[in-house]
Amino acid sequence: MSQLAPIICDNGTGYSKIGFAGNSDPSFVFATAIATRGPSTQPTRGGPPIPARPGNLASKRGVEDLDFFIGDEALANAKTPGYNVHYPIRHGMIDNWDHMERYWEQTIFKYLRAEPEDHYFLLTEPPLNPPENREQTAEIFFESFNIKGLYIAVQAVLALAASWSSNRVTDRILTGTVIDSGDGVTHVIPCAEGYVIGSAIKHIPIAGRDISQFVLNLLRERGELAAVPSEDHLRVASKVKEDYSYVCQDIVKEFRKYDAEPYKYFERYDGEHSVTGKKYSIDVGYERFLAPEIFFNPEIYSSDFLAPLPEIVDDVIQSSPIDVRRGLYKNIVLSGGSTMFQHFGQRLKRDLKQLVDRRLEASVVSSGSTLKSSGVDVDVVSHKRQRYAVWFGGSLLASLPEFYTSCHTKAQYDEIGPSICRRYQIFGSAT
Amino acid sequence: MILLESHNVIIQTTLTDKAVKPSYLDVLFVDFDGVRFHLSTPEKKTVVQLSMNIRSWDELAAYGALDVLRREYGSLIRAQTEPEYNISLDIDLEQLPANEASREAFIKSISLLKRNALAAPFELAFRQQKTLEASGSSLGDLMQIHYRDEEAIYVRASPDRVTVIFSTIFREETDRIFGKVFLQEFVDARRQPSIQNAPQVLYTNRDPPLEIRDVPGLRDSEDIGYVTFVLFPRHFAKPDVSYNTVSHIQLFRDYLHYHIKCSKAYMHSRMRHRVAEFQKILNRAKTEVATTERKTVTGRTMVVR
Amino acid sequence: MSNVLRPYLSAVRSTLTAALTLESFSSQVVERHNKPEVEARGSKEVLLNPLTISRNENERVLIEPSVNSIRMSIKIKQADEIERILCHKFTRFMMQRAESFVVLRRKPVPGYDISFLITNVHSETMLKHKVVDFIIQFMEEVDREISEMKLSLNARARTVAESYLTAFTS
Repeated sequence: MSQLAPIICDNGTGYSKIGFAGNSDPSFVFATAIATRGPSTQPTRGGPPIPARPGNLASKRGVEDLDFFIGDEALANAKTPGYNVHYPIRHGMIDNWDHMERYWEQTIFKYLRAEPEDHYFLLTEPPLNPPENREQTAEIFFESFNIKGLYIAVQAVLALAASWSSNRVTDRILTGTVIDSGDGVTHVIPCAEGYVIGSAIKHIPIAGRDISQFVLNLLRERGELAAVPSEDHLRVASKVKEDYSYVCQDIVKEFRKYDAEPYKYFERYDGEHSVTGKKYSIDVGYERFLAPEIFFNPEIYSSDFLAPLPEIVDDVIQSSPIDVRRGLYKNIVLSGGSTMFQHFGQRLKRDLKQLVDRRLEASVVSSGSTLKSSGVDVDVVSHKRQRYAVWFGGSLLASLPEFYTSCHTKAQYDEIGPSICRRYQIFGSAT
Repeated sequence: MILLESHNVIIQTTLTDKAVKPSYLDVLFVDFDGVRFHLSTPEKKTVVQLSMNIRSWDELAAYGALDVLRREYGSLIRAQTEPEYNISLDIDLEQLPANEASREAFIKSISLLKRNALAAPFELAFRQQKTLEASGSSLGDLMQIHYRDEEAIYVRASPDRVTVIFSTIFREETDRIFGKVFLQEFVDARRQPSIQNAPQVLYTNRDPPLEIRDVPGLRDSEDIGYVTFVLFPRHFAKPDVSYNTVSHIQLFRDYLHYHIKCSKAYMHSRMRHRVAEFQKILNRAKTEVATTERKTVTGRTMVVR
Repeated sequence: MSNVLRPYLSAVRSTLTAALTLESFSSQVVERHNKPEVEARGSKEVLLNPLTISRNENERVLIEPSVNSIRMSIKIKQADEIERILCHKFTRFMMQRAESFVVLRRKPVPGYDISFLITNVHSETMLKHKVVDFIIQFMEEVDREISEMKLSLNARARTVAESYLTAFTS
């Protein structure tokens, strides 16, 4: 009997991406939220309810912990009296293990409909995840679910693997800089041969949510939102961001272009009130190129964070070991929904290249023009799978035959215990 | 969620999406008991092909699975089955019922593909029981469905009942013991007045029940259990009751294992709670180390290493 | 605390309190080493006589004192297969987190379910009577927890079986 496809589970702070290896898209993408029954005053670390004594037969008591919803159903039930929505993952790391265990339970049995005993699992973890968390994850998956085998991969490394699908990438290397921008936060993570350089990681507090907010502010200032019901504002803003925005090469020129021919560049967005069904429409103008601009000129949005993305990327690479820097400049990989803007890659590449060239020139001058560098290649890889890059990278790796030999198996777990997951083995790269 | 559902969520959601917005598609996924599905659009966007591979297809086909599927899906079944799969359906997205409710019902019926294939031996046994009852002869044939690697379902009709036997394996010691507790409760639960009409359940560990004792190749080890359900005509006389019974009984093994896992998850959360409590008690024992900041003349803090 | 358990626990408590007279003691075998002698077993003269307090054949405590450390092992009551597996799961779960329970040993002494190792460092940084309190409370609650877990397992199994069978009659 042929092996059943491994299951890939990428649980992020906002959304979970779940599916089977070998596919190009996750089968399910839903919020990492769980709606449980219980008084709202109960602290998250509170004890589980003590079930009723047997003998109290007719009642359904004793299985209260099965009364919960996950994902979209959890959000739909947020208003149901008696249910509370929790987000078990905070800042990429699992915060509430009880909720997470049940979240996985329902993911597997209700949505994937897979018998975990028959499958291998690939899970993801954020960079700098403490090994204790990994052990707890292994404990849950091997002891509760009896899975066949487990592989826990770092998200950044999977994003690098996902870039192999781009036709510009010719050899499978796991060295590069990952720019992972989701809803909450943007990370810049350097990886050398499959290992994250932890000391050089940088976070940028600007991501998808901020872009939507910025679009909203712009629309509001221009008075476009007068016709839009207030509860739809944020939704309209994020729709405008997703559908109309792109990255320009020069803001001043772009402004001039818009002013010269507004009819050519202004777009119209037609919406419908989510409750009453009333129609409205707004003009979409400068937001189109200003929205993603906050990555490159953060001062237009926030007053306390001012470093542009290319500068941060440069910083990150400069604080990495000198012998991998060339590789890091040559392979900058984008991942996550907020990197999906048109021309994002080109702009980043251009700005970064300028920074690097300027530094090289300066060093030529300071060395008295005697030593000349051969130049540094800067390349940013965009590809079609960027939105779910981490999941796709997992799917790609898990369909390689080496996957099964790199997994920690149930037998190994039984022999050694959860500490096996402290060992982390990379595979699949050509080097 | 206490009971498991019998339809496949991926088929349902994918088809619902594609009905609105057809696009190219190529997905592989699974269902309980090693069933593999492949959804694809081999020719054009609007025709979705759904193929299923089920382990015990040969046995199911012998018990009339193809007839059941023909009855359910009729012309949707492709003459040419996709290689490596046992059955393929063609779903033309342009031909879906226009009415919302009937479209939903149609998609739901497609997502029940596995259930319908596995229903064949049960339906056959129910029919056999009727003829046996009429003719007064003794026993029907023993039908075997090896739906997993080491586990099987046995179905046999008698003049007054249909016996369904599951063999199930517990791969782990904990599962075996939890499983025993659960199965014992299945046996005892019928004492409850409200569910006296439920099928009778018998459970044996290691020793196969009489009905299948003469089947060759049964495993003899501690980790195997046999669960017998005795279905009486009241469980399958009416068509809707019979439909219910069939969907329900085929998920027995998954239901059992699902709940064993849920119990373990529950135990984990109890233990987490208890360990945190113990931690608090121990922390009370720790003496507060007086931490006064000591500074040098220049104002730098001294740190004890 | 049930009355039947009280004499047993108070015996453990007083023995433990008496045994917890520890002092820093450098190894006599290796220079500049200071190891728990009860584990190292390097020199016989610093080991004291081990002592077993047993309530019945299934419940007993072994206390092994030495000059700078004591080791205490507990055998937890296990009436049947279910309690055995639950007890095993629980102690393993706890020992997995031994890092934060400073006095917990990662592996039990053979023949026992869980072991604690208290060294002079612990008795210097922690209040002695509170440590004893912790161990006594652990002994008290672990029995209760295991029987509660067993009950809840049974209750669950019953609900699960009933829900399944009720679906047939509907």
